Amino acid sequence: MKPADNKLNALSVRNLSVSVPARGGRVLAVDNISFDLPIGKKIGVVGESGSGKSLTALALMRLIKDPVQVDAGEIFMGGKDIMKLSAKEFLPYRGGEIAMIYQDPMSALNPIMRIGEQIIESIRVHSPMSKQAARKIAIDQLGSVGIPEPEKRIDSYPFEMSGGMLQRVVIAIALSGNAKVLIADEATTALDVSTQERVLTLIDKTATERGLSVLLITHDLGVAAQYADEILVMYAGRIVEHGQVQQVFSRSVHPYTRALLDSKCDYTLDVTKPIKSIAGQPPRPDNRPSGCVFAPRCDFAEPACSASNPLLSAHGDAMAACFRADELIFNQEVR
Amino acid sequence: MSTTSVVASLNNVTRTFVSKRGDVKALDEVSISLQQGKTLALVGESGSGKTTVARILLGLDQPDSGSVNILGSELGGLKHEQMRLLRKSIQVVQQDPYSQLNRRHCVERIIEGPLLAFNVGDKISRRDKVISLLKAVGLEEEHLRRRPHELSGGQCQRVAIARALALDPKIVVLDEAVSALDVSVRAQVLNLLRELRDELGLTYLFITHDLGVAHYLADEIAVMFRGRIVEQGDRKDVFIDSKHPYTVDLLKSVPLAVPPDEKRQNNMDVQTLPSPNPTDACTYRSRCTVGRDLAQCASDKLTFTKGSPTHLWMCHFPVGGK
Amino acid sequence: MTQDFEFLNRLGVINVAGLIKIAKVVKQRFSFSVSIILGILTACLAAPLLAPYDPYKIAAGLPFLGPSRAHLFGTDDLGRDLFSRVLYGGRITLLIAIAATVIALVLGTLWGVMAGIRRGWVDEFLMRTADSTMAIPQILFALVCISAVGASVISLPLVVGFLLSPTTARMARSAVVTELNEDYVVAATASGLTRNRLIMTEVMPNIAPQLLVQLSINAASAVMLEATLSFIGLGIQPPNASWGTLMLQGYAKIWNTSWFVFFPALAVTITILAFNSYGERIRVSLDSRKSSS
Repeated sequence: MKPADNKLNALSVRNLSVSVPARGGRVLAVDNISFDLPIGKKIGVVGESGSGKSLTALALMRLIKDPVQVDAGEIFMGGKDIMKLSAKEFLPYRGGEIAMIYQDPMSALNPIMRIGEQIIESIRVHSPMSKQAARKIAIDQLGSVGIPEPEKRIDSYPFEMSGGMLQRVVIAIALSGNAKVLIADEATTALDVSTQERVLTLIDKTATERGLSVLLITHDLGVAAQYADEILVMYAGRIVEHGQVQQVFSRSVHPYTRALLDSKCDYTLDVTKPIKSIAGQPPRPDNRPSGCVFAPRCDFAEPACSASNPLLSAHGDAMAACFRADELIFNQEVR
Repeated sequence: MSTTSVVASLNNVTRTFVSKRGDVKALDEVSISLQQGKTLALVGESGSGKTTVARILLGLDQPDSGSVNILGSELGGLKHEQMRLLRKSIQVVQQDPYSQLNRRHCVERIIEGPLLAFNVGDKISRRDKVISLLKAVGLEEEHLRRRPHELSGGQCQRVAIARALALDPKIVVLDEAVSALDVSVRAQVLNLLRELRDELGLTYLFITHDLGVAHYLADEIAVMFRGRIVEQGDRKDVFIDSKHPYTVDLLKSVPLAVPPDEKRQNNMDVQTLPSPNPTDACTYRSRCTVGRDLAQCASDKLTFTKGSPTHLWMCHFPVGGK
Repeated sequence: MTQDFEFLNRLGVINVAGLIKIAKVVKQRFSFSVSIILGILTACLAAPLLAPYDPYKIAAGLPFLGPSRAHLFGTDDLGRDLFSRVLYGGRITLLIAIAATVIALVLGTLWGVMAGIRRGWVDEFLMRTADSTMAIPQILFALVCISAVGASVISLPLVVGFLLSPTTARMARSAVVTELNEDYVVAATASGLTRNRLIMTEVMPNIAPQLLVQLSINAASAVMLEATLSFIGLGIQPPNASWGTLMLQGYAKIWNTSWFVFFPALAVTITILAFNSYGERIRVSLDSRKSSS
């Protein structure tokens, strides 16, 4: 992995590992991952349960709490390794440099505070100013995230608003600190398709306007395909493929990525055939196979695959963690 | 053409939920019918009323007007015990794999539950039935003693399916049954549901917000919006010849797992969706790119237009003309 | 006895295998408070074996002796051995407390479950009755009841049990209402389960842990109530003595020796602490299981 270059990258992760307690010790829920988030780009992090994608996001925000621990890793933002900062030194970063939005807007917002108060509170934490000044900014921000009549809405309580509106409020709060990196962890999973489209477009538009870099964490392949520039595929705590969105969705390299794409169910499928599913299920952190984590479920597995762990390496224009990647690319092209 | 019988139906059902913050018309004169051996998918977003349809069909809720019919019996006139007996024919699989199973029971007891409810057979014959159901959903005997929290989401959902099949029902209501599963597991369970349906001749009412899943499993798809069916038809009708603006919008909004094309970037509409105007005749009008400014959509009552034996829609200005 | 269990087992009310598993878990996880409770329980139960002296024997030693090898807790005003008196007194206190706890549990559960499944005006009525019962000053209520029926090993558990039941009722009702909103209840109803069977076989096992917590906390309150009632003379009368009675007698003689009142009071304190801490431990482990799942 190339050393972190903060002129090109908003975020650089090197060898991040997060462990969780399990019977008989600790196990790695996130296993030695490294990646760069280029400035102004959006990376879609795709994975199923147990892939470690949410824990990765929490680690980036330094929100990992006992009994989960960050075992190792460096996270570079603006040239500094934020893992080495003290809790106090990191405070301005959270919300000020890197912000996060989550799946359930209802639980992200305080139900007994008006939304205006919550946005104002966030604004004033990051840039001290009077309440009146913050209120003006808050109204502007509500308008820019697509909420109609923001001067009226600012005094609403969360329960008076729909899911889509609440998620927009959450986005407004997240961006109130002028963060450079936004992490969206399943941010639209709980929303209807029509609302999802608009909220994702909003994130897209806002990111472009502000030069934000976005980490879009989702299990929805369609969302990743349409709203991300690069794709990171995670499986059982490891990154198995990392490439540009065009490449990953048309010429994926890693067998898991291919199998995952084959198993999706959208309305372009041939209904007369069974869906090509992956046998078995993703392993739990305490149950991971030695060697390549995907080998037990892989159509192309060989004995060598279970013997040692393939590292993420370049194969053509993609990065994949597979011993047979080159061979498989070749076969695919020959076909 | 073979005659397929109607095994269940809702006829002109209206259901309004009264609350302090205003009444919500969950269903507005909705009619659906389930044909033996076929799958009807109800597609809609939250608030469309699709879950209410499921609950009413299962007898867990009563319509304010209209009738519900299962295998020839009108639910409204049934006594408690008669309704209970009728439940043998219609079962449900719900969305959350874990919470729909009793966390204090083991898998064997969970699947045996419906058999115990009706005192079917004796301990030995019940155990045999449970084991055969377990195998039918792709699980092993070793899972019998496990509790739900020891199983994965996909495995729990299989247990729920096995339980639903315990009484050999004719109809199975699947309420977002695959929505909470990982993509790869979803594929497995959908394949399983398809196999079981074909093998056992089951009739499915599949409730989902996911158009892809509806497309895969259903023979007939009904698109619901705010308590009404706005379009109904077979796959070709709904996905290719879509007539209602809502159906068209839905199909456009679904992001597909294919490399992105340039067109998507141009859709810059980020505003929150407008809330419906309660006085409008068409509930979709406030969001409709076509009817938003047309007076007719506000004033004229809607009725179904039948385009073909299979295709129905409810719109004054359907896509592609009337 | 096993036949009864088997019958209940088949009904689904009690799962014997499950009970054994629960007992094992209980023993493993909450060892400290459980061992205290068990220790006290066995000591008092085994009083006839453990007590060095007959508790009624006057002049077993000189009066008002402090703790010594001959008399572990000293002697009282009539020279009776205090250790033996505390052991035997514990039998009475614990007997009354446990009986009261069981009564509170049964009455409270029935009360709360009935309200939870009926809802509507039955629910309102039952819960407002519970609220009113809780609003009555406990000692006053006990005074009225006991002056009517007299204090005995029968009346005390009934009175104390009744006083403790409303809290159990509220807890049971809220637990039942929460469970009835869960998906598995929908599934069970759709499977054709009758309502009563549903409550017994599906819901009760899920509220049982919370009831166990309530049981423990009620036991602590029952011990406290019994001791209080006996201390103010409304409870067990001499020559029988529960811990509360002992404290009353000891308090009267406090200027002669403070040991007399100290030891029964210590016994009461430790027992209440043990029950409370056990209840807390279960509650904490329940909460952590809920939040981690």
